[in-house]
Amino acid sequence: MRGVGMNIHKLAKTTLLVIILSMIVFSTVSTYAVSLEQSMKTQVTKKKIAVVYDIGGRGDLSFNDMAYLGASRASKDFGLELVEVQSTTEADYLPNLRTLAKSGEYLVIVAVGFLMTDAVNTVADEYPNQFFAIIDGYVEKPNVLSVLFKEHEGSALVGALAAMIAHHYGYKAVGVVLGMEIPVLYKFEAGYYWGIRYGEKIYQEKTGKSITPLKILYTYTGAFNDPARGKIATQSQLGLGAGVVYNVAGATGLGIFEAVEEYCKSSGKTQGPPFAIGVDADQDWIKPGFIIASMMKRVDVGVYTATKRALDYYAGKIDKYGGILELGLQEGGIAVSTLEDLDTFLQIAIQAGRQVNRDEIYNKVKAMRESIPSWMWDEISKLADQLKTNPAGVSIYGLTFKDIADKIPYTSESIAQVRSTLKVGVEIVETTTTTPSPTPTTTTTPTTPTPTTTPTTATPLTTTGAPDYTVYVVSVVIIIIIAIAVLALLKRRK
Amino acid sequence: MVNSRFTEYLVYIGNVALAILIGLALGALIIWLGGYDPVKAYTGLFETSFNPSDYYYFATTLSYATPVIFTGLTFAISSRAGIFNIGAEGQMYMGALGAVIVASMNLPSPLILPMALITGTLMGALWGLIAGLFRALRNVNEVVATIMLNWIAFWIIEYARNYGLGDPRRQEKTISMPVEGRLPLLVKNTELSMAFVIALIVAILVYIFMWRTKIGYYIRVLGAGVKTAKYAGIDPRIITLYVFIIGGALSGLGGALEICGRPPTYAITTAASNIAGFGFTGISVSLLGLNHPILIIPASVIIGGLLAGSRGMQIKAKVPLEMVMAVQGLIIIALSVPGFTFVYRRWRIKKALRGGGSA
Repeated sequence: MRGVGMNIHKLAKTTLLVIILSMIVFSTVSTYAVSLEQSMKTQVTKKKIAVVYDIGGRGDLSFNDMAYLGASRASKDFGLELVEVQSTTEADYLPNLRTLAKSGEYLVIVAVGFLMTDAVNTVADEYPNQFFAIIDGYVEKPNVLSVLFKEHEGSALVGALAAMIAHHYGYKAVGVVLGMEIPVLYKFEAGYYWGIRYGEKIYQEKTGKSITPLKILYTYTGAFNDPARGKIATQSQLGLGAGVVYNVAGATGLGIFEAVEEYCKSSGKTQGPPFAIGVDADQDWIKPGFIIASMMKRVDVGVYTATKRALDYYAGKIDKYGGILELGLQEGGIAVSTLEDLDTFLQIAIQAGRQVNRDEIYNKVKAMRESIPSWMWDEISKLADQLKTNPAGVSIYGLTFKDIADKIPYTSESIAQVRSTLKVGVEIVETTTTTPSPTPTTTTTPTTPTPTTTPTTATPLTTTGAPDYTVYVVSVVIIIIIAIAVLALLKRRK
Repeated sequence: MVNSRFTEYLVYIGNVALAILIGLALGALIIWLGGYDPVKAYTGLFETSFNPSDYYYFATTLSYATPVIFTGLTFAISSRAGIFNIGAEGQMYMGALGAVIVASMNLPSPLILPMALITGTLMGALWGLIAGLFRALRNVNEVVATIMLNWIAFWIIEYARNYGLGDPRRQEKTISMPVEGRLPLLVKNTELSMAFVIALIVAILVYIFMWRTKIGYYIRVLGAGVKTAKYAGIDPRIITLYVFIIGGALSGLGGALEICGRPPTYAITTAASNIAGFGFTGISVSLLGLNHPILIIPASVIIGGLLAGSRGMQIKAKVPLEMVMAVQGLIIIALSVPGFTFVYRRWRIKKALRGGGSA
């Protein structure tokens, strides 16, 4: 027995020695290599594009799959080789980007999703000659293209649709359920409210009926990943007579769809009204028959444009790559979902091996779309043209769409102004105790959510309103219980 | 006698090499069946993990080795005591949470780093202690207790991220560790920080603890059997508590170091996605390292290389991540087998000795 012990230690000691020696060698070599690398820069022909996905990865039928669509289209059109890299954990973002940037073979490295903001920010500094693009995130570097979307335009379109549908079916209100109260969401809000008032005007002109203006309901749930809260918020909006509820809440929105479906089914309907409106991707397939349309961010267009821009730069057509690329209706970066989009997404789902009944979903959505008067869809495309060509053309409650767009970035004050001008109704204060009441009093600093490298210390705690001490209280209680248990154990031993 | 022992170790090393080859061959088969090029895939794997011509990749390998050294040590200590503590995952989460709590407080800058590491260590120890108390007082199976506690820890940090410790401008992460609380990088422009050096020191300390102190001796006696320990006048309950507290502290420190030492976020992100999985990888590291604190270091470097090399397989051979993970799983299983048989054989010898003694 002793022999076994002795020898394993001998082995261990030798190993230790080897480790220490190699550490010393490694550190000297690497410090030397760092200084060496800065001096040599080789020019490699850039014949590839790379797409780095976040931990969500492919098969999400949303952001990542759309990014793949755009990248594969670009690789075909421009004759480039497409390399895809998925990330297992967040710890992979930085090495993934660095490994790609290091080779210097890539025309552009596309990081899909704002989760990679920090990593892109770091690597962009280290490889100033490598072009990066980040989708839906903002990185202020000369070699990074931040692809952002004009969500206010799409929101205006679905707002107009919501208003027309609500009046058509005789509802008194329309609603929107939002995630956390951060300035980015104000864009959605402002566009949506403007669209609603515009839709009302059109409805009046078209039908000649006199109408009472719709009540506009909005709820901030305080979370992007809590479907239960989305459901509660939607239920109360539906209870207040909302005919359409717009999802601006990420995964919280899944609760919105569920609430709408349940509400309809409880009154024996197999399709809306009331309807929900999807966001980001084409969500119409999630609850077919209950989601009238989706406000789509065309990530594929973003990726494609980022690649094309890099090619243009190298061809000398443009002299600056980095900056903000804002995609809207004009650029095809924002769109209201159509039946064709639905089909594309269902194809992706089938390719990804998901069990979806394509025909059933397609027919359900088609029937739902046909259940509302077709002139409404025409009016939406007319409004889209209007926003593209002449956003200052129509004035609603004294506000043109250009005014709405010009107010970006929104602050809590400027959105409050828009709300009062467009007569956005009372906020619904939820009765559930778990939900922090919507806070018009929040002192959120009026900046766009620019990611900073400087870390935030305790100050953020105070800006979110009342900090929640539950975690601390629970941990103290646990500690006390355990301390008592330990004492009891020690006593018993004696 | 000594010679035969020595050959036994040579055989062991040969076994490891054989296991690696078998694992690679099986992996190659899967890659080939999937319609990809196994040679390219493995070239990519080694190019982005143990590439001699570019220090960066080896630095990445070591950065992945760092957290699994800690979780491997947690499992090794408990294994030596005959306990199957698979709660390193949850203990690591709590350690990371401890560091984030310190980051959220306005401490004077020289205090942040030590406080973060201490709080993380303590919270990990606390989390280990809970499972330890269940085991020691009520004889609850530690596998069940630790696996459930892993989930509780997971949801506690998710709760903390959403309420109270979240970054108000970036909902996907908690507050980041302030610059003063971050560990310096060992090599510029890599992910390798001082945390790796701390891991090495801790591994050596654990070795000293296990073989040069009384408690360490008791722990090993407990591993020889509860009855043996009792016969030797050792209270197995107290030693069990020690095993869980120390194991938890190690993983907790590992978690805190991930927050203080891994660029670029220095925070816990959505669904713990930057610290998830290291706890379970630690089990294979420990098995591969024969549950020995020092041998865990080379084992962690091998596993770290596999983790780091996953991107190379994707980039060079375009093997999708799902298949990369399947292949890595195969290699890790193959690697764990010799360690497992070795430990098992020694355990059988010990048992035979014990059986002979009592008969």
